Amino acid sequence: MDMSANSPAVADPFEASLKPLWLQAQAGDERAYKQALSLMARRLRGFYGRRLTALPDEVEDLVQETLLALHVQRGTYDPTLPISAWVHAIARHKLVDLFRRRGRREALHVQWDDLDDAHHPGVEDEQPARRDLGVLLKSLPQAQQQAIVLTKIEGLSMQEASARTGVSVAALKVQVHRGLKRLGALVKEQP
Amino acid sequence: MKTEQLIDMLAKDAGPAPRAMVERRLWPVALMGLGASALFGVLVIGLVPMSVMMQMGWWVKLAYAVALVAVGGWLTARLARPAASLGAPQMALMVVLALMGLLGLWAWWATMPELRLAELLGHSWKTCPRNVVLLAVPPMAAAFWALRGLAPTRPRLAGAAAGFFAGALGALAYSLSCDEIAFSFVAVWYTIGVGVSALLGALLGPRLLRW
Repeated sequence: MDMSANSPAVADPFEASLKPLWLQAQAGDERAYKQALSLMARRLRGFYGRRLTALPDEVEDLVQETLLALHVQRGTYDPTLPISAWVHAIARHKLVDLFRRRGRREALHVQWDDLDDAHHPGVEDEQPARRDLGVLLKSLPQAQQQAIVLTKIEGLSMQEASARTGVSVAALKVQVHRGLKRLGALVKEQP
Repeated sequence: MKTEQLIDMLAKDAGPAPRAMVERRLWPVALMGLGASALFGVLVIGLVPMSVMMQMGWWVKLAYAVALVAVGGWLTARLARPAASLGAPQMALMVVLALMGLLGLWAWWATMPELRLAELLGHSWKTCPRNVVLLAVPPMAAAFWALRGLAPTRPRLAGAAAGFFAGALGALAYSLSCDEIAFSFVAVWYTIGVGVSALLGALLGPRLLRW
């Protein structure tokens, strides 16, 4: 019998290191969130790197696209489930979506079952992304772009950004969320 | 932008994750869809008369529709979350369908043979599934809108669940206007209507649920 199904945290070091960080991050801990996203990014890079051997240039773009999706959808995570299962379900979905968009036949040759990523050496160094999110950011509607740039790139607090723009904190938060969601949609339209 | 910068950007001031995102997005719009359908059905077809509402058969029909709504909503909510398991809601679905099926069979056998077919077909078997599907359209739009903002990683199945959910809401709305009360009628024609709606959802899922 497969014991790992019952105790994934024991069987999988990725799960064991990510889960506590992720739970803190979900509760609002910014540092834990950053660490969790970094762990996830490395995992995704390995996951896509092994499956996109024919399209190595796509790897970092897909990592970034997936990170955006993970962020926008983090409210759909159910704490009773392993976080690695949640990440993998989204990663697989994004990979299938990429193949569909590219209209390639590689999807037929992908091995879906070799998910024992912990024991495979993967491509773990960041490669340059082809598509620049910084440029895409500029195509967002003005209000969303401003909210993201002020609070997430220039690093102002919500209150400071609110004082500078005259937009309420609540409205700024909505703009940031919508902007990131929109960015997630925009990255898919880029060839 | 480097991935490291993206991570900094995402984490900066991110705050806690939104709570109950699936439920908060799904249920309000589903209820709005139900409201629209019920209003439409009652305005176009009319409310069943009081004499029908006094019959147990009408209440059983209503209860069946409510149970389908609950199961459909449960399935849709699960499929809106990556990696969520479907075991419990699938089991609930089987139980609800089996119970209504048994009730229908029991009513069939308990009826005099020469009246069975008349009860099963009622006066509206030709229009019932169609009306259920038509009244499922507003909740279908609502359910797909909700799912598009969530994270369904199995688009066809999620579409089928959304279609089933919408069909159940359509059936609930239609039961306010439909005066058929035979168990066999409800078990067959309502179920077919909801099934067709689920099938439509399964066809739309892969097209509409991309993210």
